[in-house]
Amino acid sequence: MTLPFRLHLLCSAAVVALALPGMAAAEQVLNIMNAGGEYGDSVEACVNKPFTEKTGIKVVTETPGGFAKMQAQAKSGVITNTTSDGSTGDMLRMAAEGLIEKVDWAKVNPEPMFDEAKNDYGFGASYYSTIMAYRSDAPAVTNWVEFFDTAKFPGKRALPTYPDFILPFAAMGGGQSMEDAAKGVDLDLAFATLERIKADTIWWESGAQPAQLLKDNEAQYAIAWSGRVFGHDGITASYNQGMLDISWQVVAKGITDEQRGMLYQWLALQSNAEVQKCLVGYLPYPGPSPELAALVTPEQAALFPTADANKAVQWLVPGQWWFENGAEVEKRWTEFKLLQ
Amino acid sequence: MNPSGNLSRTGAGAAMPPAPTPALAIAPRRSPQMLLLLAPVLLLIVVIFDYPLLKTAYWSILDEDTGRLTTAHFAEFWQSQAYLRVIWRTLRVALTVTVVTVLMGYPLAYWATRLGPGWRMVVLGLVVMTFWVSILVRTYAWIVVLGSSGLANRSLIGLGLTDKPVQFLYNEFGVIVGMVNVLLPFLVLPLHAAMMRIDPRLSQVAQTMGAKPLRTFWQVFFPLSVSALVTSAILVFILALGFYITPAILGGGKVPLVANMMDLLINRVANWNMAAVVSVVLLAMTLSLYALYQRLRDGPR
Repeated sequence: MTLPFRLHLLCSAAVVALALPGMAAAEQVLNIMNAGGEYGDSVEACVNKPFTEKTGIKVVTETPGGFAKMQAQAKSGVITNTTSDGSTGDMLRMAAEGLIEKVDWAKVNPEPMFDEAKNDYGFGASYYSTIMAYRSDAPAVTNWVEFFDTAKFPGKRALPTYPDFILPFAAMGGGQSMEDAAKGVDLDLAFATLERIKADTIWWESGAQPAQLLKDNEAQYAIAWSGRVFGHDGITASYNQGMLDISWQVVAKGITDEQRGMLYQWLALQSNAEVQKCLVGYLPYPGPSPELAALVTPEQAALFPTADANKAVQWLVPGQWWFENGAEVEKRWTEFKLLQ
Repeated sequence: MNPSGNLSRTGAGAAMPPAPTPALAIAPRRSPQMLLLLAPVLLLIVVIFDYPLLKTAYWSILDEDTGRLTTAHFAEFWQSQAYLRVIWRTLRVALTVTVVTVLMGYPLAYWATRLGPGWRMVVLGLVVMTFWVSILVRTYAWIVVLGSSGLANRSLIGLGLTDKPVQFLYNEFGVIVGMVNVLLPFLVLPLHAAMMRIDPRLSQVAQTMGAKPLRTFWQVFFPLSVSALVTSAILVFILALGFYITPAILGGGKVPLVANMMDLLINRVANWNMAAVVSVVLLAMTLSLYALYQRLRDGPR
């Protein structure tokens, strides 16, 4: 595997390297990274397509993005992708590692957006939550202690194989309070919980998997991203004790002024309420425009993680804690995942 | 990582029988023109293949903070149980898969040689057809078959053999089933080709001399096919070492193999030095196996 894969990768890299100068002369290209999947499709249809129509700039997407990809790009010294999406913790770590530059908000000049979505280091593209979901025919769970109690609530648990999206809940399953978890994760408690329910765990990688695993009755309980579990027959999802976060678009350090100019135009377009309305038509991850709620139906708005009733029962991800503890978490997580 | 692309590429080579001996007679002829013709591809291999490989090896001993050489990454590799354990599990799973593939593939290949040309085409066609279906689809199909409300479990419950679904998936068993399914053609096709080249008259002679069919098989046919069997099995084993999608899906993320570990180290936690160490160790292992493969393939001359 190692050899042909590397060969393949390098062949494509070589081809791209040879082709790029020629392409650049022909047309302007903005290279971006995002999570892909259904989310990537929505960005393609609601942002990239109108963007290309308006500016003539072609948008090329690489999936998935994230901290490691940005670091890889910085190490290679060739900055092709101008941006990636990432959680709050990701964004702060990228900033600390010097992988991203500050956003010049005056130059982006977006339409009105919530203040909390205008970070020094990122454009808050959408709000999303990580929440509990379960088969409607399984006994209902109401908090994380119950969720992780496989004796009282038997059944398989479909869990995200991403430390930042599982460890806080596992810690709460071990008894850490929501208030404390909102400040920082008790890692010992979290890993002890995961160790305890190991036999009943199915790890998922792609956001579409948990709903499928529930539907197929492969798992009875799941932790999932909010946009992926509402509106499915036979699945109950709840924002209760969910983790609210913002998905950021960052600006890669080392891009050219031309690239930055294109990227800022692309970001500004995403602050438009109509564009965000189009996006939530795919997945209910609302954007940062204060006008968005008025544009969608009340039923749609009620499912948003940012709806008042939903926001009240959730907690905000402690980005600063993840920034300070990210390296240790990764080390322990690697060991845990490989040793199981 | 693209196992399907990887497999089909290797598969094309594997499906072809080893080069017949006359080709060997041409090989040693070396002339300046020949070298000139080979130069572009040689250059390509050195630049886009050998150089990055050496660079990977360099990363495994590079201390990024100071820029000096260090053995720290290898020390960490040995000290942490995690990496060796995954490599060990990968070897174990690959070996199990190889044994199961041999036990299933050998009778199939042998049976196909006994069929008439028409039926043989049908059987081999069915085997080759699995190449046309994407590895992802084939892997997910096993969830439909082996899942807790899948075909197998519904039949078992329907027959009253069990009252609770049997856990076939999200463990090593599920991974092995999926891998055997993908790898079976890689054993059957070359093995069948080799079996077809065994002179049928040898078996006929043995039977004329009074040997029973079973004895004819074990004393005449099997020894003649064993070298092809071993080389095909080694090929299957080497391919099994690099599986990524099957363990990720059918193992429920609980049976990480080397490729999954590399994904974690490179794409998730950006620990390139450790990824390089694992690459070097894996490369050394694969190369040793390949050397063995070559030696067995060339056979005693």
